[in-house]
Amino acid sequence: MQAVIDWMESSTLGQWVVATEWVWPAAEIVHFLGLSLLLGSMLIVDLRLLGLFRTIQYGATHPLLRWALLGFGLNTLSGIIFLFGDPGRYEANVGFRIKAVLIMLAGLNAALFYWKIQPRIHLWPADTAPPLLVRSLALLSLLSWFSILLLGRLIPYVGTG
Amino acid sequence: MNLFEWLEASRVALWVSESFWGYPLMISMHAIGLAILAGTLIMVNLRLLGAFSGLPTQSLSGLINMAWFGLAINLISGVSLFSSQATVFIENTPFLIKIPAILAAVTLAGVIQHKLRLHAVYRKQGEPIASSIRAMAALSILLWLMAIVSGRLTAYF
Repeated sequence: MQAVIDWMESSTLGQWVVATEWVWPAAEIVHFLGLSLLLGSMLIVDLRLLGLFRTIQYGATHPLLRWALLGFGLNTLSGIIFLFGDPGRYEANVGFRIKAVLIMLAGLNAALFYWKIQPRIHLWPADTAPPLLVRSLALLSLLSWFSILLLGRLIPYVGTG
Repeated sequence: MNLFEWLEASRVALWVSESFWGYPLMISMHAIGLAILAGTLIMVNLRLLGAFSGLPTQSLSGLINMAWFGLAINLISGVSLFSSQATVFIENTPFLIKIPAILAAVTLAGVIQHKLRLHAVYRKQGEPIASSIRAMAALSILLWLMAIVSGRLTAYF
């Protein structure tokens, strides 16, 4: 792991992030904008599946996922900037480690939903609840995205090493 | 002792600035509230500007209610965070941009919700959204961008 950290620190990107004063705050701004897009759209998609906002047909929330993906993309890019700018700190941080695992879980959940469930979604009438499995995945999705947000925000305050 | 010094000496302020969990708890709540408030309102405004038009305009007022829940979280967390360093924040330029931007954006969301409830914007599903509402939606997105940018920059000035 130390070899990876050394490589990241000495990479062009790593050096640039450390040497350029405005990059870190700019990446933070992008990260907050991205999380607003990602969580804002996932809130609507998942809460609809959990039974709220019943005037919305199930299939109608589908295009929101593009905005979620845009938010996720922005946060992956800005996240990479943070990682290259201070790799040792993140590698040792408990909050970041759990967050990274949860992002993979939430990603798997989203992929499962996108490929397996979304194609059938328009078959459900808006006034009936989706199958229990689907509701569980929606709840899992919301819980994981909000935990990711929480853990990310707590990185500066939780144990390092 | 002025108002801001008094705030800084209050029990809430001391809890936020001196207890182990006060500041991290409030700053986390603030991020969660931001995601709910700005996230939902950005989506509502994008809808009003023509994105994901399958989402019925009738559903938007309910979505704005969810944003009010986020606003409540951020009022509570925001006031406690502010009070912990009131004399610093009140002289912080990004903060002095952030607060009016949020006040304007929240007012706009209230106006948009009121208009949606009055059925002023739609009579039938699929009917185009009034240009005045679209202008408000565009302005609202700009204001949230301003709030997010200046909010983050409070830490650097």
